[in-house]
Amino acid sequence: MEYQKKELGSYNLHMIQTDKFKTITVRIVFRKPIIKEEITIRNFLSDMLMLSSKDYPTKRALAIKAQDLYAASIGATNYRLGNYINTNFYLTILNEKYTEKGMLEKSIQFFHDMLFKPNVTNQAFDEQSFKIVKTQTELAIQSMKEDSAQYSVIRLLENMEPDSPLSYRGYGYLEDIENITPSTLYDFYKDMLKSNMVDIFVIGNINFYEIEKLIRENFEFVTLKRTRMPSVIECNKVPKKIKTITEQDDITQAKLAIGCRTVNLTQYERNYPLTIYNILLGGGSDSKLFTEVREKNSLAYTVRSVPNKLDNLLLITAGIAKENFKKAVKLIEEEMKKMEKGEFNEEDIEKAKQFYVTALEESTDSPGRIIDSYYMMELLGTDDIETKKKKMLKVTTKEIVEVAKKVKIDTIYLLEGKEIDEEG
Amino acid sequence: MKKVELPGLDSYYFYEKLENGLECFLLPYENKNNYFITYATKFGSNQTSFQLPDEKKMIKVPDGIAHFLEHKMFEQEDGVDPFTHYAKSGTGANASTTFDSTQYICYGTQNIEENLDYLLNFVNEPYFTDENVQKEKGIIAEEIKMYDDVPEWVLEEEIRKSVYHVHPMRIDIAGTVEEIDKITKEDLYTCYDLYYQPSNMFLIVAGKFDPEKIMEVIHHNKHMQKKQENKRVIEKEYREKATVNAKHKELKMNVVVPKIGYALKIDRNQLKIKDDFLLDLYLQMFTTVVFGISSTFREKVRNEQLMTSFYTHWDRADHFKTLLIMAETTKPKELLQAIREEMQHLTISKEDVERMKKVWISSEVKMIDMVETSVNNMFDDIIKYGKPIANKIEIIRQLDVKVLNQLLQTLDKENCIEVIMYPNEVK
Repeated sequence: MEYQKKELGSYNLHMIQTDKFKTITVRIVFRKPIIKEEITIRNFLSDMLMLSSKDYPTKRALAIKAQDLYAASIGATNYRLGNYINTNFYLTILNEKYTEKGMLEKSIQFFHDMLFKPNVTNQAFDEQSFKIVKTQTELAIQSMKEDSAQYSVIRLLENMEPDSPLSYRGYGYLEDIENITPSTLYDFYKDMLKSNMVDIFVIGNINFYEIEKLIRENFEFVTLKRTRMPSVIECNKVPKKIKTITEQDDITQAKLAIGCRTVNLTQYERNYPLTIYNILLGGGSDSKLFTEVREKNSLAYTVRSVPNKLDNLLLITAGIAKENFKKAVKLIEEEMKKMEKGEFNEEDIEKAKQFYVTALEESTDSPGRIIDSYYMMELLGTDDIETKKKKMLKVTTKEIVEVAKKVKIDTIYLLEGKEIDEEG
Repeated sequence: MKKVELPGLDSYYFYEKLENGLECFLLPYENKNNYFITYATKFGSNQTSFQLPDEKKMIKVPDGIAHFLEHKMFEQEDGVDPFTHYAKSGTGANASTTFDSTQYICYGTQNIEENLDYLLNFVNEPYFTDENVQKEKGIIAEEIKMYDDVPEWVLEEEIRKSVYHVHPMRIDIAGTVEEIDKITKEDLYTCYDLYYQPSNMFLIVAGKFDPEKIMEVIHHNKHMQKKQENKRVIEKEYREKATVNAKHKELKMNVVVPKIGYALKIDRNQLKIKDDFLLDLYLQMFTTVVFGISSTFREKVRNEQLMTSFYTHWDRADHFKTLLIMAETTKPKELLQAIREEMQHLTISKEDVERMKKVWISSEVKMIDMVETSVNNMFDDIIKYGKPIANKIEIIRQLDVKVLNQLLQTLDKENCIEVIMYPNEVK
């Protein structure tokens, strides 16, 4: 695998040459500091760009063109990383060896046209496409509640810190939809091209010279952008008192979500000991939570923990019967206490490290995850894969215990069914 | 060990059938780091009524037993559960049950030989006790309840209940809380002895490894030493009528946007195409062209804002093929009407078929490019057609629009059902 980065003024081009894949993937990442009111319109915009373009004015025309290019797959995703919002546009195609000559160039041109020749007339997006996306966006926001596990995490975060980016809803907000019109959307589009920072990644069995030429010819951004906003949402206050919140909905299985702060962690602690801590607690397939809550006490079918490093959060989630709420919370708290006391042995740590090493090695079999890794290096100055492996293998019990002491429960949230329960 | 080429994919696999009847498929990769192994039995939730080898009487075990058994295989006599064992080398493990299969998988980058040996061991060493069976009931009941809250899941089950009269496809793979409560350790051993014989199972190993060495591990495994026994399983034949069970159904649930289900039940015995793989390709071609992303149907319903999500799937139940359509829509009746109308005018152009061939060829290349998806692809072939289809690309290239249009004409489009799921009343 060979990596080359080119600073092309208004954007960085990252090229990764490898014979591991029969596909070529191009990813364009736009990012800027997140603003709550812009989440909805940003989602709206990427859906619009994926629905139609000037040359292919309907979804069907677009789909037919993509299929003709041997199922070129094109898509967009929006996600938050700490204080930033990111939009990925990606293109995945087969290496020409499996299709026809000229497919790479044609596909990149097509990708370019979707992003830079939008379905716009008189400074406004196409009405018909606009209506379709509007309805879809409304429905997507409304049906968010149908996934009760996900909804419980959203409500947990909103109860923890309503004004921080960490609780912003990725789906966006119904009230923001009304302000979007075909022309404000076009203004937003132009602004995104101008003000967002851009990175372009290309991975596959590629020729650097050919790719650089193709990308330079097709992708031009005019302005230079810089920002000083740090990515990480800092946390240096220990929560004073644990908040407990219960809400109700029409569901059968109650959803428990516990939000913990990771207080005053160093960058090293966030990237290394915290990772091992989490695998031991609830991230691995034989974690303490899985063993205690599910296997020994049959209290849940799912129970896991996930660190959200850039937010300085650690989330614990479980699907439980609501009468087991107190018992489950107590068990989870006990397991966290054990972590603080260092009640895990060398063998557990070794397993957690191997779990991480395997995941790391596996990640090099996925084009998307290789790009993720280079992007994180670019964005946060994280270590490369080999360094990560070395440092992770050196994490000590003492370091894990230090981190365990800095993980503090802030809010306990339960989403439960509506039936009236005699016991309360 | 026989080498089988996969034309058009730059790839090949090795095949060997052991003396005990187990079929082994090895798919080596040179430039990947990871591996993915599945050890599977052709036993799923549909098989709940069968005859024991030495008895005449048909017995019925509780619904959901295949899935229950899958959970219980992770219980080992030495108390070390397989997850913990695999965790030592950072290896992932999992299992899953469908209507007609149960598989145990492990995947990772380290210790492939030892991990494969361990997989063959733990699936061959059941340890069921009254106590551990009882304990599992709580966990599985929570799993069933979790799915009871997923509207798509409930809708899919309702569709199958409307399609089938008596076939076990009517019943959820995990069973019901009442049924699983009846399960005993004896039931589990009965199913295990019958369906976990090597001749009813197969093994797929894909990833970075030396095929000779892997074959050696399999040959030397302590459970692979017996000769094949001929315990043939006689299963209940369901007298499933060719007609659908209930044409129209409405229900309410905690959803924001209504959902609809549509299904078309097809008796494959009435069709000209006898080869099952070929028939599936043509049926799949039909739904992709008519209801897929590049269809005029989708364009129309999108423009009329009739739906927000749309999903098609083919079910198989003995000699029936059933098309399932599920969608989210604010106008359920109008969308169902549009589907019915579309079904009345089915003609497909050559251009559409040729374009779709490109898409499928591309999809085959993409699947073989990832270790996990290549295993899943091979797994599906074995379950559906008895063996991997090696020359898929050739067969795809030969698909003929005339054959497809003839097939579409012979379908009985009236043999369909509809389900509408409305939101609960606002309280």
